Amino acid sequence: MKISPSQSWRLKDTLYVLSLGKCKRCGNVFYPYQPLCSVCGSMDIEKIRSKGTGTLIEYTILYQNRDGFEKQVPITAGLIKLDEGIELVAPLTDVEITELKEGVRVEAVLRKVRSDSSNGIIQYGLKFRVINDAGNN
Amino acid sequence: MVSIVASGLIKIDRYYEFSEKDLVIEAYKDLMLKIKDVPSSVDAMIVSSTYSDILSKNLMLAFKLSNKLGVKSPISFRVENGDNGGASILTAYSLVKSGIANSVLLVGVDKFSDYPSKYINDVVSYNLDNEYQYQLGLTPHVYAALLMKRYMKKYKKEYDYFTNWPLKMHENAVENPYAYLKFKVDKKVITDSQLISEPLRLFDIAARADGASVVLITSDDMAKKFTDTPVKIESIFSSNLPIDIANANLNSIKDVSRKAINKISKEAIYEIHDSYSILASLEIESLGLAEEGKALDELENLKVNLGGGLKARGYPGSATAIYQLAELYLQLTGAHPKAMSGPEKGILLSCDDLGNSSYLISLSR
Repeated sequence: MKISPSQSWRLKDTLYVLSLGKCKRCGNVFYPYQPLCSVCGSMDIEKIRSKGTGTLIEYTILYQNRDGFEKQVPITAGLIKLDEGIELVAPLTDVEITELKEGVRVEAVLRKVRSDSSNGIIQYGLKFRVINDAGNN
Repeated sequence: MVSIVASGLIKIDRYYEFSEKDLVIEAYKDLMLKIKDVPSSVDAMIVSSTYSDILSKNLMLAFKLSNKLGVKSPISFRVENGDNGGASILTAYSLVKSGIANSVLLVGVDKFSDYPSKYINDVVSYNLDNEYQYQLGLTPHVYAALLMKRYMKKYKKEYDYFTNWPLKMHENAVENPYAYLKFKVDKKVITDSQLISEPLRLFDIAARADGASVVLITSDDMAKKFTDTPVKIESIFSSNLPIDIANANLNSIKDVSRKAINKISKEAIYEIHDSYSILASLEIESLGLAEEGKALDELENLKVNLGGGLKARGYPGSATAIYQLAELYLQLTGAHPKAMSGPEKGILLSCDDLGNSSYLISLSR
């Protein structure tokens, strides 16, 4: 068993939605959510949900295999700045390479990530696509 | 003070017949042949190994090695810190500096060649954030590629700029008996090599292989028992700060370089963690050895990675830093088969593959 059901479920705040933490003391906004501010140490943290939209800063195309992701190669990945100000590296999906430019708008969409051949578990997760048909997930 | 008094290495290579234990035995045999007095016991054995549990199903490795080598040691444990073996050097140094131990056998060992690369790619990706990036299929190569593209835009560089690094590292490795890839390459080989994550090519990436290195570290009082030419570990600086991909900055390396500013000079010889050509460029610039955006144009003026670096000497996980320490020791004592004449100071910059966590170790003869 490569995919643990309990681990996948535990990661619901990062794999299925982008749950952010907002520190009520210092204002730090961070991802993934956790009940402790890594800047000021406050435990007064509000869990907020990212709008899931942001701007592409940079991208690359990965051609090398990783165990469990063979069918997805090549993988396009981008450095994205969410509208809440957080930068993260994430896979891109449904993209035409010609439309990938610095500054293009992107949004998070739920996609199948991988499946476990031995027990049939399918793991889903958030990837990003260029916004040109927003609202049609 | 804390001194290095002996080292032992095995050539980095693919060893299908050898386990981690076999590799360490070979390195330790090399040490025994060079040392004045073989220690029957040490106060501690520290093992720098990142992947031995996952790739070889091997826990309690330090205890096992301590018994197999016949080096009695009341303290033995493994240090895992991603690919950053500098943490184990700090551990060994601290044990002697604090007086807890008078002698520490520092062992570095990792072994990549037992599995196909797609499995190794998965395992090295454990170094990434495991709440999102690892789960989504990314690898450290993606980060290095993004960093490289940002650097190219920031400093208006073409890919050709990065070819300078593998060219120099392969040239340096030719006469190094411990090097994995002991051959020169030309620019066309590099520019035609496999595209890994554009613009990152095969020759921009450290060459994973198997290796073991051992270094005996003692207090000053004990050093003369083992050698007439000890090398002092003067100080160790450290930093943990995440990289800034968008602005092509290695914050941790810059921070540790600021802390060690008085130790850094062009007269010293350097070992840096060139997991990628882009990391080499940024590390050299962060150390202040070259202007920003120009490091790989100035390699002929720098004494960096004389044995070929991770690119050509090879990259055995977190044994890498122990190789770097051993090679600096051999260089400073003039015992390296490819020794330069005269260097009195050495600097080891050890970090994880993406430069989030760093240690800077200064040595003097």
